[in-house]
Amino acid sequence: MRTMLADAPRTALTMAYWGFVLYLFLPLTLMMAMSFKNAAFIAFPIGDWTFDWYLKVMQDKPFLEACAYSVLVAGLTTLAATVIGVWIAMLIATTEGRWGAVLFALACLPAVVPGMISAISLRIFISTIDMPTGTSAIVLGHTVHAVPFVVVMALTRLRSMPANLVDAARDLGADSVVAFFRVTLPYLGPAIGGGMIFCILLSIDDFVRTFFLGGYRPTLPMLIFAKVQGGMSPEINAMATLVLLVTGAVGLYAEYYTRRSRSR
Amino acid sequence: MASNSTLARGGAMPAVTAPAYSTRLSALFNSGLYQSTLGALVSNKTTRMVLLAAVPIVWIVMMHIGPIYQMLKISLLSNYPIQHGRAPTFTFANYAIFFSEPLYFMPLIRSFVYATSATAVTLLVVYPVAYYVAKIVQPDRRSKALLLLLVPFWAGELIRTFSIIMLLANRGALNVFLRDIGMIDRPIPLLYTPFSLGFGLVYLISLYMLLPLYSAIDKIPKHLLDAAADLGAGPFTRFRRIVLPLSRDGIVSGCSLVFLTSIGVFATPMLLGGPTTVLFPETISGFFHGASDKWPVGAAFAMIMLVSALTTAAIFMRIVGGKSTRLM
Repeated sequence: MRTMLADAPRTALTMAYWGFVLYLFLPLTLMMAMSFKNAAFIAFPIGDWTFDWYLKVMQDKPFLEACAYSVLVAGLTTLAATVIGVWIAMLIATTEGRWGAVLFALACLPAVVPGMISAISLRIFISTIDMPTGTSAIVLGHTVHAVPFVVVMALTRLRSMPANLVDAARDLGADSVVAFFRVTLPYLGPAIGGGMIFCILLSIDDFVRTFFLGGYRPTLPMLIFAKVQGGMSPEINAMATLVLLVTGAVGLYAEYYTRRSRSR
Repeated sequence: MASNSTLARGGAMPAVTAPAYSTRLSALFNSGLYQSTLGALVSNKTTRMVLLAAVPIVWIVMMHIGPIYQMLKISLLSNYPIQHGRAPTFTFANYAIFFSEPLYFMPLIRSFVYATSATAVTLLVVYPVAYYVAKIVQPDRRSKALLLLLVPFWAGELIRTFSIIMLLANRGALNVFLRDIGMIDRPIPLLYTPFSLGFGLVYLISLYMLLPLYSAIDKIPKHLLDAAADLGAGPFTRFRRIVLPLSRDGIVSGCSLVFLTSIGVFATPMLLGGPTTVLFPETISGFFHGASDKWPVGAAFAMIMLVSALTTAAIFMRIVGGKSTRLM
């Protein structure tokens, strides 16, 4: 009796954890299961199962174009955000005292501004610099959103770097650019890799910035949004499942990658 | 420092080490072109600082502050985009419009109610989960237990919102299940209600609560809890006197993050909410559709939302977090 009482909090916490796991997975599992329903509307029970929605989606031109467009935007975003983010982190790491803190706070600003406000302010901003809505505007918006995350990841790694590594390189005759590319950048490798994958996921998932900055070419979330609003069929489930599997694989790889480099 | 630079400029040392590292990068750095351009530039301390600082500072000023500044500027103009023959004048009228109609200020109040309640519910739901992973799970299994919770969040905002529809629709899994076990005769309308919106919000944002809470609880030394137990403190006392105060930083940053994220969510209320749950982002977006000339009003509304949300988060951090905590 006594041990049962002592174990009660532990049992309750275990149940809370598994309950939460169920809560997180149930809707997504239902969403995936519905993609196999052999009917033109979404309703449970599923009854008749089919693979046809996937065959249809795989040949759907708008879907494939949206995939390609999302990948293009994510690639450009990742490239820009990584370069700028690492550059900002390098500056913050060498700036001491109050100014370093101010720089860090400003570098993180886009991460705390609510998404809608960020999207609206960027929409206004691109019109004041006469940039049209479309690919360049989306990439700009996604990059602004992703930079703080790269900064934080790169800075964490930079702070753990032994200062004498760069000093040694300098003693051996490397100037600061050479020291950066030959010593600091390789040391930052894992943080940059993790940051890049994070940028890809942020960009592919982003809806609100794309909605206000985009032109006529839809990215994946825009396409799915339009389909959900236009009348639902299991076709959307098949699309969403495919996207989910790909982003999930990317995320899992990121986890594997950062863990492997951490243990090294 | 000075002697290093002289060496690098002269190229004496790199030339000696070059054969050992014959990568393309080394070839580039040892080339005469590099030595006379970038290499010569960075040998001077001032130009080196300018090279390091120029891009980050220009980017931060232009891209992090610029959009907010432009939004503020346009919110104070009488008309924008600028048309011929109508010179914009400075005005506060766009802000006054907000207070003139319940149609405008009610959605903001509603946004605050939803964001605050979603934050509170998320804290209550996620805290035990974070505690379980950080303190009960064996250390070697901890990252797997955490990973299991991260996986669903790799699906984007839209896919997760869409998946809630599968659960809550009239012919969704929950209603069909309840009908099949005989608890209801006709479906309960769950979707497009305040309930589905709240449910979806919590589903969307709980990760932002999980990570700060986990890292805060993880840092609490286990021997503190053991010592308290040895001295006779029960589970509840240990929680109230040790765990809760020591995880305060995690609570503060988790709640602020969740609050600021959920107040700015745009797609979820549009897909899961109904006519009675119009939130402020949808109100703002109305001013930017089509060839509207209402941008200044929308900008003013967005400024009102930004300032009120950041102020709320700051007050919360002050009260709960004390002096030491900052947003990031």
